[in-house]
Amino acid sequence: MKTGLIFGLVVLFSLWYLSFSATRLDRLHHRVETSWANLDGLLQRRAAIALELAHSRAADPASSLLLTHAAYLAREAQIEDRSDAESGLSGALGLLQNDLTTQGESAEKALLRELSQLTEKVRVGIAIHVDAVNRTREVRKKWIFKIFKLAGSAPLPVVYEFEHDVL
Amino acid sequence: MPSTKKLKIGIVCPYGWDAPGGVQNHVRDLAEYLIAHGHSVSVLAPCANEEILPEYVVSAGKPIAIPYNGAVARVLFGPIAFSRVRQWISQGEFDVLHLHEPAIPSISLLACWAADGPMVGTFHAAAKRQKAIFALGPILEPVIEKLSVRIAVSEASRLTLTEHLDTDAIVIPNGVYAERFRNGRAQQKWSGETIGFIGRFEEPRKGLSVLLEALPIVARFAPNVRVLVAGPGDTDEIYKQIHPQLRSRISFLGRLTEEDKADFLSSVSVYVAPNTGGESFGIILAEAMAAGAPVIASDIPAFVSLLGEGRYGSLFATEDSSDLAKKIIELLRDDETRQRLSIAAQERSKFFDWDTVAEQIFSVYEMAMVGSGSVGLASDSRSWGRLLGREGEN
Repeated sequence: MKTGLIFGLVVLFSLWYLSFSATRLDRLHHRVETSWANLDGLLQRRAAIALELAHSRAADPASSLLLTHAAYLAREAQIEDRSDAESGLSGALGLLQNDLTTQGESAEKALLRELSQLTEKVRVGIAIHVDAVNRTREVRKKWIFKIFKLAGSAPLPVVYEFEHDVL
Repeated sequence: MPSTKKLKIGIVCPYGWDAPGGVQNHVRDLAEYLIAHGHSVSVLAPCANEEILPEYVVSAGKPIAIPYNGAVARVLFGPIAFSRVRQWISQGEFDVLHLHEPAIPSISLLACWAADGPMVGTFHAAAKRQKAIFALGPILEPVIEKLSVRIAVSEASRLTLTEHLDTDAIVIPNGVYAERFRNGRAQQKWSGETIGFIGRFEEPRKGLSVLLEALPIVARFAPNVRVLVAGPGDTDEIYKQIHPQLRSRISFLGRLTEEDKADFLSSVSVYVAPNTGGESFGIILAEAMAAGAPVIASDIPAFVSLLGEGRYGSLFATEDSSDLAKKIIELLRDDETRQRLSIAAQERSKFFDWDTVAEQIFSVYEMAMVGSGSVGLASDSRSWGRLLGREGEN
């Protein structure tokens, strides 16, 4: 009677633990997707601002060309090259930003302000996304997730090498 | 705040609301800032006395005192607290939950366990001593993982977090109402060759004894020097430690009101923070900087980063009273450096002004909310509750 009860409790606990683990992984996968969608959106907006800056009067032809090129690269990049392309855009923006803060007109100033607000968000967005990806990969290595195939058919999330000094 | 959308924000404070402490102050200031900007905020905290609570605080019950991090922490956990936490979450319909110090056994951890949805966690502690608690890693991991974003209040607490829980965090400093301190008026009674100290001076880690040991040397070179100690505590024990000839140089002012504190910090020649450790940010030091006091602090990690490796204030070797004496004498004699440090410190304090800090925290809320609905009870928490109930019946 007593062993039966204990056995029952163990089974119950195991079942609960399995469902708990599945929920946990599902939550992580969901976060990888939403954080990427969010980050992607922010980066697209950044590229758009970069193009606007490039076409403004503040930019000299050389930096305008540089910026346009970098922005297009960032927009067209495949997922694997995305990080490199975004770093390139960051570099180009950084160059221009230095010149523009000393001179530049109000329209450009507004763009720059928007850019710096966006930069703050991108920084947080990267942190959230990188964390979600690392967590998910870490958790999926554990035996319980492998044996019971708790990941289902969800693909292993891609690690993006966003450098720390991306901005 | 430029944002137009008003949020419903739930904040959980792990420590007793009516006990003094840095985390409580931080939560209070943040809540009041957010409310002043039109958001609706509910704070869940343990409270010893439920009659004197501000409107936005909900009591989770009476806190229990446990020794923690070299001091006594007033926290709360257990089944009754858990059910209160769950009730608060399900009734609150929050857009985002902000949990403070979720890695210690407290209602923050319980809330993190019970809730599902956009959650932000702030880690305050920076100390090696918590190993025992962080050794619970495997249990904590899936819970802490539910936080969408983790915030550390300093580089030191971020390191603690990465070391013990293997997870990264964004650094957003603690907030100070810098303007209040900027507007402090210098008072005659606290001016002159004065050294200021604020804190619960009985606690060894606040380091008052280091300052007192330095005093005889300082007095030899600066004959008019006076030490002004503000903060609650028993002064008799301290007086016994001091050489009778030096006793007249020390005044205990007791606990100061917020306005008096601003005036005090604006008046003293030098503010000294001789803490020996256990400090993760240094809120009083930050307030002293906002008031424009030239500061001297021990070189513990939190202070080193707060003072920008010495650019915004002078640093001395921790627990080394002769080094402290040297730094005090140097600064008291050098009006020019004092002036320069005062301006640099005030400039620096803009980084941790609430206007900046709350903006950053709010932006984190917005990021945490992307793609997930509002806060509710987690499904596994519900089944856990049922399981517990079933076990109780057997």
